[in-house]
Amino acid sequence: MHRTDGDTTEIEFLYRQHGPALLLFAQGVTGERSRAQDAVHQVFLKLIEKGSLNRVADKKAYLFACVRNAALNEGKLRDRNAPLEPDSAWFIPPDRDYAGERNLRCALGALPNDQREAMVLHIWGELTFSQISDLLGVSSNTVASRYRYALAKLRDSMFAKENSCANS
Amino acid sequence: MPTLDDERLEAYLKQFRPLAPEPLSTVGTSHRARRTFVLGAWATAAVAILVIGALTLPIRTDRARVTETIGNVGNPEHLMEDQPLTMRSANALVAKAPSFKAMVDDMAFRSQHIPLPKGKRSAVAVLGKEKIKL
Repeated sequence: MHRTDGDTTEIEFLYRQHGPALLLFAQGVTGERSRAQDAVHQVFLKLIEKGSLNRVADKKAYLFACVRNAALNEGKLRDRNAPLEPDSAWFIPPDRDYAGERNLRCALGALPNDQREAMVLHIWGELTFSQISDLLGVSSNTVASRYRYALAKLRDSMFAKENSCANS
Repeated sequence: MPTLDDERLEAYLKQFRPLAPEPLSTVGTSHRARRTFVLGAWATAAVAILVIGALTLPIRTDRARVTETIGNVGNPEHLMEDQPLTMRSANALVAKAPSFKAMVDDMAFRSQHIPLPKGKRSAVAVLGKEKIKL
C-alpha cells in the first residue's frame, strides 16, 4: 500500500496524541523505558512504512494492541519477568510532586501485570472496559474486576501505606 | 492524607501525565526530506533547461546561417559578386531576370572577375562590345 501525505500526518498526530500513554503502557509490559520506547517506535515506524490506518475502526485501541504485541514479542527474546525500573520517572507529576510520582510508580510496579494493564489502559489510555476487553481478549467483567482490584491496591499502597515505597 | 473514593482517586491519578516518548526520527524529518526532494527536483529541472538551451543555441544559429545562405542563392546580385555560377543560381537568375538575354548577359559579363595581365583584354569583353549581325 502506498502511503500519502495525509496518512503520514495522521500517524504523526496519533503519535503525539497517544505516544505518552502508549509508552507508559509498554513500560508496564516490558519493565524498561528503553525497551518500551523501542516497542512504540517499532509500531509507528511500521505504520509509516506500510501505510495508513484507514481500515482500522478503533485506531486508539489498535495502537495499544500493536504496542502490546510488540512489547511482548520483544520480551520473549529477553527475560519476560524483568523487574520494573525503579529509578526512571514514568510521569510528569502535578505541582512537582515527585514523591507522589515515585509512590505511584512503585504502586503500579507492585501490581500484577494483568491489573496494571487494565489500570494503565483505562486511566491513562482512556480506553473503555469494552475496548480493553477486545484488546486483551477477555470479558468486560474480567477487565472491570481487574481494574477494581488494581484501584484498591493503589489506594492502599499510596495512601494507607504512604511512603512505603520511598522507605524501601 | 485521607483515603480517596474511587472517582477522586481516578481524578488524582489522571493528574500524573505520562512522559512523552522520544520523537520518531522519520516523523520529524519526513516533511524536511520531502521539501528537500522537491527543491532538488526543481533545481535539477532548471539546470537541465539551461544545459539544453546552451546546447541548442549554436545549432539554431548555424541553422539560421544556412537558411540565410539558401535565401541568398535566389538573389542574383549576391551571386554575381562572390559565388561561383551553379545550376541552382542559374535557375534563380532565369526566374528573376526580365528576359533570357538579360540573364545571359548578367551571367556572362558580371559574374566573372578574372584578373587579366596588364595590356591584355578579355576576348569575351571584346566580342561583347562588337555589333554582330546575326
